Amino acid sequence: MRYAFFAGCTTLARLWGYEKATRKVAEQLGVELVDMPGSSCCGTTYLETLDHKTGVAVAARNICIAEEMGLDVVTVCNGCTEVLMKANKELKEDPKLRAEVNEVLADVGKEFKGTVEVKHFVRMLKDDIGLEKIRSEVEHPLKGLRVGTHYGCHMLKPSDIMVQDDPEAPTTLDELVEVTGAESVAYPNKLECCAGPIMGIREAVTWSVGLEKVETVKKYADLLITACPFCYLTYERCQLIQENSPNVPVVHYPQLLGLALGIDYDDLGFDSNKIDASILQKFAEG
Amino acid sequence: MTERKEIRMSEADKGFRERLMETPGAEKLMLCYQCGTCTADCPVAMRVEEFRPRQIARLAAYGQKERLLGGDTVWLCAGCYTCYERCPEQVRISEIVSALRKLAIKEGIIHPTYRALMNTLAEMGYIYEIDDFQNEMREDEDLPPAPEPDTKEVEKIMRKTGFLGLVEGG
Repeated sequence: MRYAFFAGCTTLARLWGYEKATRKVAEQLGVELVDMPGSSCCGTTYLETLDHKTGVAVAARNICIAEEMGLDVVTVCNGCTEVLMKANKELKEDPKLRAEVNEVLADVGKEFKGTVEVKHFVRMLKDDIGLEKIRSEVEHPLKGLRVGTHYGCHMLKPSDIMVQDDPEAPTTLDELVEVTGAESVAYPNKLECCAGPIMGIREAVTWSVGLEKVETVKKYADLLITACPFCYLTYERCQLIQENSPNVPVVHYPQLLGLALGIDYDDLGFDSNKIDASILQKFAEG
Repeated sequence: MTERKEIRMSEADKGFRERLMETPGAEKLMLCYQCGTCTADCPVAMRVEEFRPRQIARLAAYGQKERLLGGDTVWLCAGCYTCYERCPEQVRISEIVSALRKLAIKEGIIHPTYRALMNTLAEMGYIYEIDDFQNEMREDEDLPPAPEPDTKEVEKIMRKTGFLGLVEGG
């Protein structure tokens, strides 16, 4: 299996551990992630709220690169996933918008043709590789590990775009945690937003939202799992700035899966997790 | 949004509601019957007194442009889509907030954080600078260099639609 790999600004610039673990896990499962030459920021969810056409056009330019490569796109950021999936769907379904956007894209020598799909890495794992196949590849079941999952809003919503899971009772990430042998625990307010998008407007609100989540998770689980760089940074940062940090490890899903697949702890980028996640070493060995 | 609850029709901006409802996403504004599901379930409203999604719909219906666009109100939505999913009338306040932002930038109103972000995007092609230093660090981590965005193309797109002209500079 081959995919065009769209890592997104935040992961490329700051979350090397996430990217590294994603690439390692893909390799282990026989998935080739091909970088997209000339690709830019997805456009951000912010841009689309300011100007619809511009947002769709910047997203479409990236999709066009994948179309030229003849590959479906795999993303690791919920924001990118929503932006690219929404643009892709709207452009496929709305001929008027497509004509308008293609007029803009013509100036940069691109044309949206509607020939590829966009999906988050975790959707690719579940839908294209499959839980059974992944289970059969697990070498170190993470028995006894209790995990709190955080989906992040834009993996699920708006649900008329992100159609693959139930926005009020999602299961994908929990199933993917359970195949590693770990237990995905229920905890209150599991689906609450990380509030990362208003970090630049009311920082204190974001930290308060984040802290409430990690403090809750601490009562139920050994660590928190994310699959989005923004959610990850919120839950990590909100703890780092506390004097009495709850010290709940925040781990990128591919790091967890990588351990279960038998990839070395040292090859999964844990040195870039700023809250010590070495508790995982013991589970992988045991 | 001020704390004042009452709405004065003398402060209504003529045609504002109509302009808003012509903006994609805000078409169903007038279906709002003020049930308050949006505010009750909003993670920001839970913590920020001045952010009340139901009140946004009410002020919009009465053309209260200044109260809506004056402060941080429309910039405080985190875009979590909880109200979008749960609105019994599919009014989708998050989309009304987006439509309000679209009207705001046409009047030269944009939150400085958004302005900075959009200018960085046009300039760098990313929302962060990814330069040689970053790529050296990436190399140390055994990662390939970050794709080099064609910044001229991104900027050209943003300019061609007229968007960049509205938000550039500071």
